Amino acid sequence: MELWANLIVLTWAVAFMLWQGVGFAITLGTVFAIWAILAVSLNLVVGFTGLLSIGHIGFFGIGAYAMAFLTSDASYEQLRTEAIPTLGWPFFAALPVSVVLAGVTALLVGIVFNRFRDDIFVLVSFGFAIIAFSVFLNLRSVTRGAFGIHEIERPAIGGWVLDGEVEFLVFALICLALVVLVCWLIVTSSFGRVLTAIREDEEAIAVFGYQVTHYKLAVWVISAMMAGLAGGLFGSWTTFIDPNSFILLESMLLVCIVILGGLATIWGSLLGAMAFVLLDEGMRFLPFIPSEFVGQARQIVLGILLVLLMLFRPQGLVGRYRL
Amino acid sequence: MSAADARDAYAVETIDLSKHFGAVRAVDELSVSIPHEGITSIVGPNGSGKSTLVNLLSGVLPLDGGLVILDGVRLRVVKAHETPEHGVTRTFQEVRLFDQISVRDNIMVVLTSRRLLPALLERTTVAHTERTEQILREVGMWEKRDSLAQELSYGQRKLLEIGRALALDVRTYLFDEPFAGLFPEMLERVKEIVVRMRDEGRTLIFISHNMDIVRELPDHLIVLDSGRLLTEGEVHDVLSREEVIEAYLGD
Amino acid sequence: MGAQLASYRDRQSQLLAIALAVAAIAYVVWKISESPEQALQFAFNGLSVGAVYALLAMGFTLVYSTVWFFDLYYGAAAAIGAYGVFYLRSGEALGGLYEVNEPFVNVAFAAVVAGVVAWALREGLYTRLRTRYRTRNLILAASLLSAAAGGYAGLVLARPNEIEVLLSPAIGVVVGLAVLWMVRRGHRLAHGRALTGPLLAVAAIVAAIAGGYCALLVADAPGSRLYLSWAVSCLLAGTVGLALYRGLYVHMIARARSPLIMLVASLGVLLAMTAATTIVFQAAPRPLPDAFGSDPVVIAGATIKGFNVFTIAVALVGFAGLWLLLKQTSFGKAVRAIGDDEEVAKVVGINTTVVIAVVFFIGAVYAALAGLLSGHDTAIQPRMGLLLLLKGWIASVVGGLGNLYGAIVGGFALGMVEQFGIWDLAGEWRDVISFGVLILFLSFWPKGLLPRK
Repeated sequence: MELWANLIVLTWAVAFMLWQGVGFAITLGTVFAIWAILAVSLNLVVGFTGLLSIGHIGFFGIGAYAMAFLTSDASYEQLRTEAIPTLGWPFFAALPVSVVLAGVTALLVGIVFNRFRDDIFVLVSFGFAIIAFSVFLNLRSVTRGAFGIHEIERPAIGGWVLDGEVEFLVFALICLALVVLVCWLIVTSSFGRVLTAIREDEEAIAVFGYQVTHYKLAVWVISAMMAGLAGGLFGSWTTFIDPNSFILLESMLLVCIVILGGLATIWGSLLGAMAFVLLDEGMRFLPFIPSEFVGQARQIVLGILLVLLMLFRPQGLVGRYRL
Repeated sequence: MSAADARDAYAVETIDLSKHFGAVRAVDELSVSIPHEGITSIVGPNGSGKSTLVNLLSGVLPLDGGLVILDGVRLRVVKAHETPEHGVTRTFQEVRLFDQISVRDNIMVVLTSRRLLPALLERTTVAHTERTEQILREVGMWEKRDSLAQELSYGQRKLLEIGRALALDVRTYLFDEPFAGLFPEMLERVKEIVVRMRDEGRTLIFISHNMDIVRELPDHLIVLDSGRLLTEGEVHDVLSREEVIEAYLGD
Repeated sequence: MGAQLASYRDRQSQLLAIALAVAAIAYVVWKISESPEQALQFAFNGLSVGAVYALLAMGFTLVYSTVWFFDLYYGAAAAIGAYGVFYLRSGEALGGLYEVNEPFVNVAFAAVVAGVVAWALREGLYTRLRTRYRTRNLILAASLLSAAAGGYAGLVLARPNEIEVLLSPAIGVVVGLAVLWMVRRGHRLAHGRALTGPLLAVAAIVAAIAGGYCALLVADAPGSRLYLSWAVSCLLAGTVGLALYRGLYVHMIARARSPLIMLVASLGVLLAMTAATTIVFQAAPRPLPDAFGSDPVVIAGATIKGFNVFTIAVALVGFAGLWLLLKQTSFGKAVRAIGDDEEVAKVVGINTTVVIAVVFFIGAVYAALAGLLSGHDTAIQPRMGLLLLLKGWIASVVGGLGNLYGAIVGGFALGMVEQFGIWDLAGEWRDVISFGVLILFLSFWPKGLLPRK
């Protein structure tokens, strides 16, 4: 099953690239890299620590808005309905802020959320996603509400601006590789082993001298920082963001990816993100689905997949851990 | 009496310890003192508060009243994650392993650094693997090292849990019914472990319903009834007392 | 449950909680003294919104306290309730502007209804009749009956403009059976034996006439199409809820290590159903046809719509109905027993599958009712269900999870807090207020205002 899952998704990816040409694959690759960073980081919390969080998109949004607010270009004054200061920071100065801001928010949120478990945690994480969305939509003096923020800066190294899709893809993949490396280091460290023990039995591991709340808080913050990084990348890549990219639905789809790929496995999350992106784009080319329903059709497929997984394979495609 | 004297005198003490669940007084103003070294057994009829006592001592349940003194340190609030610092660890009545990780990791997880940053940077060391192997061989689970804990039989799970407690190098071990439900072969193995630990100079406190073991192993006996101390003392002396016989045969 | 709601009993947090409560009360008192009319207005709004939350919370808490997992399907059920009315009435009331009639939807619902009827026949009649008739004949009869029921449901969906004509015979049969049952029961109570043949015939004729008359009354009543479409929507949502339990969750519950399995599965259900709703009805908000009472009534300087008063009344009646069912019948005792310990309930001879299935049905009906009532008040959207569900969820946490009184108190309380909260803040912050309340309650009063005993 695991072998088959790998083979199917990877063959599908290669076939798709050959079919649609390299140009399209490059766009897809960036989308994949961003989703994959999100999925891998969420898996730290959901798969390794056992906290089913549906609020991850909030940290993604915080990263994206930090990037947008700091780097948005002044020349688009006419697009502004409510003046926000034009800071015009370079990308690489703003990216750390994206990461740190997401981390600080996670720390504050995590202190409150730390005492919740299981389904109550799911409920409050729903709450976080909705609160974050409300803030993006309604805190107009910072986010410009539904109008969104335009002209977000692309990364520039020295004088070399990563304008092209290929350059950005390479940059995004480097970021993904870094995130995967950090995640791998974490889950193979002693810290990671304690996380899995927390997932299995919080009270039992506490008796052996581990302060569970600190561990949960730490992994929650680390995971949120990675989501903030993904958000910064996303904002810079699209150069325009509005609150619609950070709705609760996206967060639920993200949980689908993580569970589909497999809990407590980094490779599974990469595979899940790849399957997800291919599913979306693959459906665009199916003749019997009208183009305006592609997103909905993908959602139906994911929903049904989720139900089937819970029935027959709760550990996902290549997972180690059964919910 | 200075702190150092207290440290030498008792491993675990309680003063007026209380815990109630609704109207039920599971532990009712209980004051006991369990000396360092040797084996102490806690016995009593079902519902007499033995497991609750162990849960209170290890910080799994919050205290409703009274004091716990662990290794000479007086505590009104026992935090579970601080009990190893006070020299105490435990096993659970219903075995609580980390089901979906391997047998080896179940042991290794308690060997690693307790502080966040060092733990994040710490990789598995030779010391960890050697200690794990030693423990697993001791409880006879080395062949099973790569299976998941949930795949083990009941007896093996019980042994692994004892092994996990042994992995922690502390002075006092609280075993909640370590002999319950074991086949004779496994039972002998647990007994061996307990005796060897006593010989190493550690303090063992266990709950048991098995009267043969209670006659054979412990040096000291504590009898609870309805959350109160019925009597305590040397084993054969206690077992021949009238109130103990009554408590056991009366109902 | 105690383990799930982390208990937090620090003295400091209790003091903080008391301080917060005092501050909230002081704020409300200050606001009332500032402008009594406006306060009354916000109170009216709070009650109207709270009624919807209360309905959701009641259905939700009933299901949760029986099976102890969060079923996200109830979000979809609320959407089914609202869009069911839209589906059945859009042709007539909105001038056919957004008229939808998808054969696929009709067939899908027909199949679900047929399946549930087949299951009900098997659980209900088969066990009683199998000694008297041959199994093959029974199966044949049951298949025919369920196919007929499914076809009938499909027909009702396909011909919404003749809904009263189509439903009248069904109403006649139901009322007739009810009359017959009451006569038989009354006779048995009075004379200690069952009805004899001739008496039974007379009773049957009485029942038929009563049923027919009721059916005619319903068919002729003004607005009957709308009310019948409400009933059909609720029944459909309930049937789907039952089918989900019987077809899906029951297979997971036995094997599940944690309630999160069912929660994730229901997340899949919600995602798929929301997307399907979007495909059929499109994502843009749609209005529901006008119900009665859309004119505001002025009471002491504040206005409230007649329909909102009706909504509040529905919530109270819904509470009374559920109270009767849970506290006064053996079914209620069975529900309680299953909620306390399903295994024990099984051992004492309760047919847990049937009882839980009915609980899922009732819960979904309440959610659908809430969905369609709020839909008449505002616009409807395929995504509306999830937010409504979360509000119901919060309301039941505020009131006390698993407590029926808590659900209605929590629903109205949450509505009030939301409305008074947006007095000074803008209206778009109301979701933030709700979740703020949730987090406060979970932190300081995890058992809610009225804990489950």
